[in-house]
Order: sequence, then C-alpha cells, then structure tokens
Amino acid sequence: MMDFMAQRPVGQEFVRHVEDGCPYRADDVMKPEQAVSTGTTLVVAEFDGGVVMCADTRTSTGQYCANRASRKISKVHDRIFVCRSGSAADTQALTSFVLHYLGQHAVELGKQPTVNTAANLFKIMAYNNKDHLLAGLIVAGYDDKKGGQIYSIPLGGTRVRVPYAADGSGSGYIKGFMDANYRPGMSKAECLEFVQKATALAISRDGSSGGMVRSLVITKDKVEEAVIEGNKLPVDL
Amino acid sequence: MAGTGAGYDLSVTTFSPDGRVFQVEYAGKAVENSGTTLAICCKDGVVFAAEKFLLSKMLVHGTAKRIFPVHRRAGMSIAGMVADARQIVSRARSEATQFMNAYCEEIPPELLAERLGLFMHAYTLYWSVRPFGCTALLGCVDEETKKPSLFCIEPNGMVYKYTATAEGKGKQAAKTEIEKVLANNPELTCEQALMLVAKIIHKVHDEKDKDFELEISWICPASNYEHAQVPVEQRKAAEAEAERILEAEQEDD
Amino acid sequence: MAAVEEPQDYLDVLQSHRGGFSFENCKRNAYLASQVAIKPPTAMKSGTTICGIQLKDVVILAADTRSTCGPMVADKNCEKLHFIAKNVYCAGAGTAADLQHTTEMMESQMELLRMATGTQPRVCTVVRRLSSMLFKYQGYVGCALVLGGVDVTGPHLFQIYPHGSTDKLPFTSMGSGSLAAMAILEAEYNENLSVEEGKKLVAKAIRAGIFNDLGSGSNVDVCVITKDVGGTILRNFEKPNERKFRAKHAAFPIGTTPIMKQEITKLVSVEEDVVMRD
Repeated sequence: MMDFMAQRPVGQEFVRHVEDGCPYRADDVMKPEQAVSTGTTLVVAEFDGGVVMCADTRTSTGQYCANRASRKISKVHDRIFVCRSGSAADTQALTSFVLHYLGQHAVELGKQPTVNTAANLFKIMAYNNKDHLLAGLIVAGYDDKKGGQIYSIPLGGTRVRVPYAADGSGSGYIKGFMDANYRPGMSKAECLEFVQKATALAISRDGSSGGMVRSLVITKDKVEEAVIEGNKLPVDL
Repeated sequence: MAGTGAGYDLSVTTFSPDGRVFQVEYAGKAVENSGTTLAICCKDGVVFAAEKFLLSKMLVHGTAKRIFPVHRRAGMSIAGMVADARQIVSRARSEATQFMNAYCEEIPPELLAERLGLFMHAYTLYWSVRPFGCTALLGCVDEETKKPSLFCIEPNGMVYKYTATAEGKGKQAAKTEIEKVLANNPELTCEQALMLVAKIIHKVHDEKDKDFELEISWICPASNYEHAQVPVEQRKAAEAEAERILEAEQEDD
Repeated sequence: MAAVEEPQDYLDVLQSHRGGFSFENCKRNAYLASQVAIKPPTAMKSGTTICGIQLKDVVILAADTRSTCGPMVADKNCEKLHFIAKNVYCAGAGTAADLQHTTEMMESQMELLRMATGTQPRVCTVVRRLSSMLFKYQGYVGCALVLGGVDVTGPHLFQIYPHGSTDKLPFTSMGSGSLAAMAILEAEYNENLSVEEGKKLVAKAIRAGIFNDLGSGSNVDVCVITKDVGGTILRNFEKPNERKFRAKHAAFPIGTTPIMKQEITKLVSVEEDVVMRD
C-alpha cells in the first residue's frame, strides 16, 4: 500500500484527467476538480517609512481566465497585508485562518500585532501543511516596532525577511530588473513607481499574469490603494 | 466531621452555605506557613528575595531553590509548597515558549500572569484535584521597553499587579517595611534595593524558626536584563551590610 | 494534571477545527484505476452554462437546462437554479449529485440560522459556509457555483470553485459554456442596466452557451433577486429550442393494409387423455 503511494506523488492526479480549457466536462467523480490558481506576479518593496505591495489581477483555471480583476493582496490586519500566489483556494483558506488567529491575538494583546507575528503564523500554517498546500506568500506591513517589513514565505514554508520580493509565475522575468533598480531608502513615490513598473514588465512577458496592476502603499498613518488599468500600464508594449 | 466546616471543607466542588470554598481557603493557609518571599519592581528592574529554611545542616547550599527562571526576562518566586509550585513554573515556561513559537514575540507579562491565573483557577473547579498550596510572584522586564512588572498569582486563581509585595509568614511585616523603603525612595534601583531586601528578610525572620538561607535574584541592567541569581559576593556583601545595620538599630532601641 | 484537558498548543485547536479526513481511498482508487483496466463508475455531470450579474440593487442569475451523462442528454429541461434562502439563490455547474446535496444542505443550514438569529441570512455567510466545506473536501465535491443574493448590505454576486476559492464579481459565468456566455457579458454588461435589460442580457449569455457549447442546451432559466421580493425563478424564461414541427401520428384505419391470405397453424398439439381416478 505504502509502496505505490510513494511512487505516485499526490500532485500528479490533480491535472491529468481534465481536458484542457474545459474543466467541468471530465465525467469522472473519483477525481478532484481542476484547481483554480493564481498564475501571478507579485512585487513588494520597502521604502523609507513603509512598504509598497503590487499584484496583477489575473486568476486562471488552466488556459481560461477565471477572474480578470481579482484581488491577490488580502488584508490580515489594519496594517498587515498578504500577497497570495499558488492555489486560490489554499491561499484564501490560509489567509482566513491567519486572519482569525491574528485577530484573537490582537484582542489578547490589546494592541496592534506585529508583521513579524503575522508572518510567523503564515509560516506555521504553510509549513505544517506543506504536503497539502500550494501557496507562495509575501506578508508585508507596518508596525511600530520595526517599521515597514516584508517577509517572503515560499512553497516549503520557510520565512525570510527581505527588503524587496517578487513571487508568482511572472517573478522570473523581473528579478534582474529589481536587483538592478532597487535602492534602500527610496521615497514613497519612487518606490511605488518602481514596483508598478516591475509588475507591468512581468505582465507583458508572462502569459499567466495580466489584467490590471493593483498596488497598496502601507505607512504608519494610512493604507492607500491604487489601480492602473491594463491599457495604461507603464511599459511600451 | 471534625473541624469547622461541617463537611463543606472536604471538596472544592461544594460551596458552604455562606458561599465559601474552604479547600481553596486552606490552600491560602499553606502559603502563610511558608518562609517569607518578596519582590520589588524597581526603577530599572525586578528584585526577588526568599527566606529558605535550612531543614538540615547537611543540605547543600544553593539547592532546593524557591526562585525559578521562567524565560530570559521573567522569574518567579514562590511562597508555599514548592513541590506544587514546580507545576506552575513548568506551565509558565511552556506558555512562554509556545507563545514565542506561535507569535515570534515574547509573551507580554500581563498575559502570562493571566494564563497562570487561569491554570491555577482550573484546579479549584474539579472534585478530582486539589488546589495549589502556593502563591507565585511573577516578575518580568519587557523585551523592548525594559519596563519591569510584578504579579502575584494566588491559589484561588486571582492575579494582582503590584509595585512590590510579600508573601509567607512575615508578609505583613515585610510589606510595611517595603512601603517605608519605597516611600523614602520611589526611584529605587535594583542595586540599591539589594541591601534593603536583605535587611527586610533578616528583620522579619522569626528567631524561633530554623536557620535560613537568603535567596536573591534579579532582572536588571547588571544582569543584562535577564533573570539571574545575584552574584554570591554581592549577595554576601549586601547581607553583611544589612545585618550590621540591623544590629545597630537594635542597639539604638 | 489529567483532570484539566487543555490543548497543549493553540494551533492544536486549529487542527481540530479542520477535522480529520483521510484521502487514502481516493488515492487507492486512482491507483487501481490506472493499474488495472477498470473503469470506475461515473456520475452525471452537467455540461453547463450558468451566469450571473449584479446591478444597482438586484442580482440576476441564469442557467441552461440541459443535463448530460457522458455524450447523452439525460434531462432536456432540468433545473440548475437552486434555492438557498428567500434572498439567496445559486446556479450550479459540475457533478449533479454533489450540487443537489450541497445546495440542499446549505438551504437547511441557512433556514436553521435564520430561525436561530431571527435575521435574514447574508450572502457572505453562505459563501463562507460553502467555501469552507468545499475546501475541506479538497475538490472532491465537484461544485462550481455562481451565487447571488441581496441582503442588508446590498446585492452581492460570487463565484465559487470546487476547491473552495471564491471571487466577488459584478458579472460572471461558469460551466463548459462559460466562455461563450462571458463573451456576451464582457461585451454588453453595464452596472446601470435596468432589471428588464439585465434579464435580457443574462438570457442572451445563456443562449450563447446553449447554441455554441455541446454540453449546454434546451431552455433558459432566469432568477431575479431583489431586496423587496427576494428571489423569483422565471422557469423557462426563454425556449429557443422548442420543437416547431411535432409529427402528428394519426392512427391508420383498420384495413389500410389488405389481407391477402390467412393461415392458422397449430404449433402445439394438445392431447386430451384424461384418466379419471376415484
């Protein structure tokens, strides 16, 4: 029993049985339905006094775009947000668990929780359930202890603090751009432009990323959301 | 049905007709029989002291302690049955590490005290268990703000926050002494408090009791804000100075 | 210590909430199916077109009415719009049995909730219940839903995938005909449409699915959910596939076929040899 289970990884059975582009026609109830995944570009960077988070808005099922205006940046607390990539169901469930636990923690603490804490909760959940989850996360936000912070939690469930991060299928196209152009201590406007540009570049090269560029600027005082529509992206296509 | 309780003192799950739970009150009595312990929240940290009776001349010095570390910046001194208290210490340690593991942050002193309060309270609710015969003085220094805090957790599960308090046989006398000390010097530092604490414990010690060993620990700049025993030399110096002053005071009388 | 049972770790609580599921048999079945030439039993799945739009203070859902079983049409006029609460309806695509059970379960849960709280259920409540359930079953409950409703906070439209992911959208379509329907919605949707225009739009989107997708067909069902009235299902709102020429099969009069010859042959010979005994 254990032998063949070891030979056949669980993940394989997810996609094999389904016809391309037509997720609901496979007449076989013994297999799970095709997963919805956020083939994604996520870009996050620290600047003086806060963080900027950016994401495209395309959610796909196989070859079909399930949602062209989705929100991949989810709120976990007043000043803490998470960028989600991987399986939409997994990351949504993960986020709602952390939202719940962080909320309880905040009430118990009687003050704003730290980004560090939020990231740690995500890490615990991602690591403990790594065999069942497909989730790449970037947790970012602002707290009074350490200011703006970014924690990257890739597939296996490690947690690293980084000054800037890119994740999702589109991230490969822009890592070099980010390494070359990121400077510590940018102004808010500079950082926003940098992050939006990086996301737009990834969108233009990655088929699974697309739609608009949603951005979020988190500082001590406020959270500002912005959208650049797909036809106004800051790149020459 | 000997005694005053008319049977109502046999279980923690039964109230007496006038609304008391005798077993829990008796647990409080166990605390009052123990050697004095005290703790003071100073300007820069927390000092703990305990009067440990020497049950045997052959007992190795510095063993059978009554003050325990909980985590790097928290300690706990015990009045009452130390064997019972070890459960509380172990619970406190696991609460602290679990909180650290889950939230990547040191547990706030208030929360730790409150959780220990819940833990002790749980043992006043069930027929099959007996309440803890001890009171714990929990002292912490905040990781970031370096603000000291002190809590007293009683056998009934109540938690009180103090600037300074004492428990055990000499608690009344000790509290009066501490009040005097703090009234004279509200900006007391841990280093200054050392001798005063030694003096109080020596003063409230009942000559009828056995010999005792003074246990002192602190969380302050001198210990790099970590819970640590006061170095032996320093403790002996403070104790000698305290005894000298006490003798001088007695001669004055 | 034994008397006080507390979770040792606060995350233990989380684990216990998630419940214990074993997918061992699913894995085993998949393995057996791949190793031996056994075809596991299949269930009825509806190749479907469903869609929904959210307007100013109304939500409109629509669905086709074909139910398929492999290449065969199992039901020419089935109902794919499900009642969940007076103010919440949903359109379903995927495994018919799963859909029926899931929506019925949700209906009873919401009714119990309504009786317990004395308030109208909210759309987000239904969405959360559904998504946690679907997530728990890790995609093995094949429900793809377009869920719409109007509650105290206004009109809401959601799409929910079998794995439990959810999206809140102004307009959406699902099922095998979703591509055709989406083309119509993308071209003509506008949040300022009137209810009548909205009904026409969703019907047109479903019609696109009916005519262009093999898995969808027959008629269009529409459901309009408003704040005041709640949901009303307009069954067979459009019938684009009515049989125009029904063959009139009058019975032939007796004698239409002339009798040329008549011959009766005894195939069994009956021997009457009865012996009487006293």
